[in-house]
Amino acid sequence: MSRKSRTSARKLGKPKSFPFRWLISAGIIAHLMAVFVPPLAFQTRGPLGSSPSVETLIAPVRSYSQFLYIDRGYAFFAPDPGPSHLIQVAIDGGENDEKMTERIIPNLEEQWPRLSYHRHFMLAEFLNEIYHPQGPPPQLAEQNPEEASRWIQSRARYVAARNSMLHHLEHQNPGKRVRIRRLEHQLPSFVEMVNNPIELRDPQLYRVLADPAVVSTGATADVAPLPYPDPRSNERSAQQRSKQRLRQLFRDDRVEERADERAGDVNQ
Amino acid sequence: MQILISAAKQSVKVWLRDSISAWDRFWFSPRYPHVLGILRIATGMMLLYSHSVLAGELFRFLGDNAWVNNATAAQLHDGTFGVSDWGWSYLWYIESPAALIAHHAATIVITAAFAAGLFTRITAPATWFLQLMYLHRLTGALFGLDQIVTYLTMYLMLTPSGSCFSVDAWLRHRLADQCSANRKLAWLLPAATPSVAANVGTRLFQIHLCVIYLFGGLAKARGELWWDGTATWFAVANYEYQSIDMTWLGKYPRIFSSLTHITLFWELFYAALIWPRLSRPIVLLLAFAVHGGIAMCMGMITFGTMMIVANLIFIEPHWLLACPPEE
Repeated sequence: MSRKSRTSARKLGKPKSFPFRWLISAGIIAHLMAVFVPPLAFQTRGPLGSSPSVETLIAPVRSYSQFLYIDRGYAFFAPDPGPSHLIQVAIDGGENDEKMTERIIPNLEEQWPRLSYHRHFMLAEFLNEIYHPQGPPPQLAEQNPEEASRWIQSRARYVAARNSMLHHLEHQNPGKRVRIRRLEHQLPSFVEMVNNPIELRDPQLYRVLADPAVVSTGATADVAPLPYPDPRSNERSAQQRSKQRLRQLFRDDRVEERADERAGDVNQ
Repeated sequence: MQILISAAKQSVKVWLRDSISAWDRFWFSPRYPHVLGILRIATGMMLLYSHSVLAGELFRFLGDNAWVNNATAAQLHDGTFGVSDWGWSYLWYIESPAALIAHHAATIVITAAFAAGLFTRITAPATWFLQLMYLHRLTGALFGLDQIVTYLTMYLMLTPSGSCFSVDAWLRHRLADQCSANRKLAWLLPAATPSVAANVGTRLFQIHLCVIYLFGGLAKARGELWWDGTATWFAVANYEYQSIDMTWLGKYPRIFSSLTHITLFWELFYAALIWPRLSRPIVLLLAFAVHGGIAMCMGMITFGTMMIVANLIFIEPHWLLACPPEE
């Protein structure tokens, strides 16, 4: 390369030497591996675990991609668009308080602008995503202690996130009693919608996601029947709702908390 | 036989030489930074907006009384619940409200400087790092917007994105004599000339965008509703996402199923069809339509806007510059 063309190349910002280009090329290949392999690992995960070959590929780039937040699956509205998950909050002054405030998270009236609403929506989805039922069943601990240990850790993760959210709400409402539970907002099919039009906020589209207790048979059952949620109402008094139904919400949570405490004792 | 072997060797040699040459052309051809300048402004403004919204509810998301408090945020990453990862943030350890406010104010100032293109060589990596620290702290409250703005910032910081449409460009113009005499100043205030750095950053983001769409499409292809055509209906029937009521589409199954199939195939084949000049305008037009629809109808104006902005990475700088500036 002539002196003139070297100068011109430098002016154009070309790398000076082949070793430099090789070095940059090696960095590019390593980075692109960290970009490509995590979503591949996400898609190749099955009931039996991850694909062994993809596990081998991801090992050298895992930490790098995690730190750069490029270890994502990019599964937006996939595999299928599903129902939303919300958090229902009940706030009162204790057993004898006649007035209870209920909130649904997210709520466009409370969280504004839309970005704030969406962050709260994601928090509700996150709590549902990491949900793990109480347990593990006694047989699992005997048959597969490793799986039982994973169960306990997954449950502990859910309980930690749920308790953090409870703590946040208690901090926002000093001196009040706070309870939360998960709701699922189901989607009507277009056939139902055309034949029998229904408001998207109709109470019959909401389902309470009770925390199931694990029974000895390995099957699950609801801890207690729950009151019917009506997300259109933010606040209502005890006169509008029977005392028994209010207590049911709290009794359910107390049963859940006692079960978690027992699980905590066992873990310790 | 010997002739065959030597012909095969020659073919492999030619193929290798052509491949290396193509790699060289793809990665090491200098590129004008003007598209990157536009992306810097859009990304910086969106980050500034995101940080400003967070400022209004800082303690809901940061500190010991947040929805996900400091201890829980750390535990979700540090292996307490079985799996640890490298998503570390020093924000897990900041409890003092005053310190959090000061940190957030500094973040907003640095991000504003990045958007304006002030000392971009320094403020771009600083903006990216601060954003990354927020991401690892806000576990559970993140969505696609956070991903795309972080990736854009990450690639923009590798490039001279502050060399045009920026305060840096104005400063360089004012300090032209000093820049030609002082190499450090010339690095700090780069000229808007073609560079390999601009090309490498552009190529990396182009490929990353292709990976996002490819796996987004593959994930959808595993579902049933994207094949039977009802996915679009179930997306518009989701009240929590809705910003414009589009449930009237339910009366027109042929329309919403067409939209579903177009979205799936566009996403699946984006990685291939975005490169040829013939198909690129169609793919970009579809990107504008799909993300515009998400922005307007599905309550994600920030995400939809940033995805449209991200697609601008496939605009050739000379499309913008009728008369490229003199080198």
